[in-house]
Amino acid sequence: MDKAIVIENLTKRYKNKRGIADINIEVNKGEIFGFLGPNGAGKTTAMKIMTGLMSPDTGDVRINGYSVINDYEHAMRNVGCIIESVTPFPYLTAYENLKLCGRFYNIMDSRIDDCLENTGILKYKNEKIKNFSLGMKQRLGIAMAMLSNPSILILDEPLNGLDVEGMVEMRNLILRMSAETGTTFFISSHLIHDVELTCNKIGILYNGELISVNTTENILQNYSSLENFYLSEVDINVRS
Amino acid sequence: MSGLKAAYFNELYKLSKKKKIMVATILSLASVAVAGGIVAVVDNFMGIKVTGSATFPILVLSVLSYTLIPLFTAFICIDMFSGEISDQTIKLTLTRPVSRYKIYMSKVMAAASFILGNLLFVLICSLIVSYITDSISVSIFKIILAYAASFLPLLVFSLFVILISNLVRSSTLSFLISVITYLVFITIGTIFTDYQSFLFTSMFDWYTLFLGSYINFQKIFRVLLILAGCGTMLFVTGYYLFDKKDI
Repeated sequence: MDKAIVIENLTKRYKNKRGIADINIEVNKGEIFGFLGPNGAGKTTAMKIMTGLMSPDTGDVRINGYSVINDYEHAMRNVGCIIESVTPFPYLTAYENLKLCGRFYNIMDSRIDDCLENTGILKYKNEKIKNFSLGMKQRLGIAMAMLSNPSILILDEPLNGLDVEGMVEMRNLILRMSAETGTTFFISSHLIHDVELTCNKIGILYNGELISVNTTENILQNYSSLENFYLSEVDINVRS
Repeated sequence: MSGLKAAYFNELYKLSKKKKIMVATILSLASVAVAGGIVAVVDNFMGIKVTGSATFPILVLSVLSYTLIPLFTAFICIDMFSGEISDQTIKLTLTRPVSRYKIYMSKVMAAASFILGNLLFVLICSLIVSYITDSISVSIFKIILAYAASFLPLLVFSLFVILISNLVRSSTLSFLISVITYLVFITIGTIFTDYQSFLFTSMFDWYTLFLGSYINFQKIFRVLLILAGCGTMLFVTGYYLFDKKDI
């Protein structure tokens, strides 16, 4: 199977000794990969390295075969992402923020409207971001990430700040994109129930180490829920 | 190249939407108008010739190139680096398919465009005031040359501020360090004249080398090389820090 994302021996240590150590993950094209782990496990660090916001101590990330470290432009050509939090320019409108992103891909205005429509914020198109709520910013972040019709979406806590209706809409949007266009997703989330319903492969990160990678199908054959599997894996590692 | 072009247009677009640009425009206009008014009053009512009409734009340049233009250049550069890094808006640009070098370059180009635009605006305003108060009799070419020449030290100054704003995350601290260092350099250049040639701030008035009847090409070339050397070192160091920065 073609690999969309390959993470090889990725290590990054902060001065406080936290970070990630020797992470290896392979995500096939079209998969929805759920990245789970407690706070401070290193999920965001790994995702920041994947998107070039941070450089690793050792290791590499290859996206569609291109190294993020050595060939960033090619690696990111078909990638959309939300990392940590959505931080659009507050003095610009939603449309202007999307226009800035779209300029890198020669995006037409109609595509901007499509993305705003899909994320339910078309009516706020000409409002400045400083007046947006957290949920609206999150929706805008998702619109920015999918603007270029990327084949890979890396989403760090994409459901942050969304109301229940928004979460269901986003979940359906992810499933629809995966089914219709074969988009690959790499998603980190604390909402384990949502991950169970959305993702078809799960990786668990604990104390900066990847302790488990398995398909959702396999996990649910042995455990009643993803939550039980997660707690059991974490418990094993706490004891050891 | 398309990535650089897109990043550059984005920087210009963001600049155009900032209130600081409007404030810089209004203050530049007000400075020229006030200076024109003072010169006219002193010339006509006090009988003292402060400056000829041909040199009024140079008088304006000599004041603004040390004050307003570097001040707003610093604001703009700090906003583009420290500002965007501290409020994390830079992620929006960094996660696009464009290298950090191109992003850095586009920001430097935007700062250079701001300096050029500001100088051009001041030049036009001061020429208009000169025409209103009196007719211009001496070469406008030399005035334009002086404004064009003052772009280079201001660009070096912007690279210096960019370097500071890549060293420090806080916008306020970047601004403070930039202003204090600028004032220290100016003071050192004034008191210890032997060290002037090491300080780019003492070259803010190098355009005067183009204004006299005798042009010292050797000195112009020497200053040009010093500015180019300073600029290159600041550009490279700033880029190194920007490239290595973890967001």
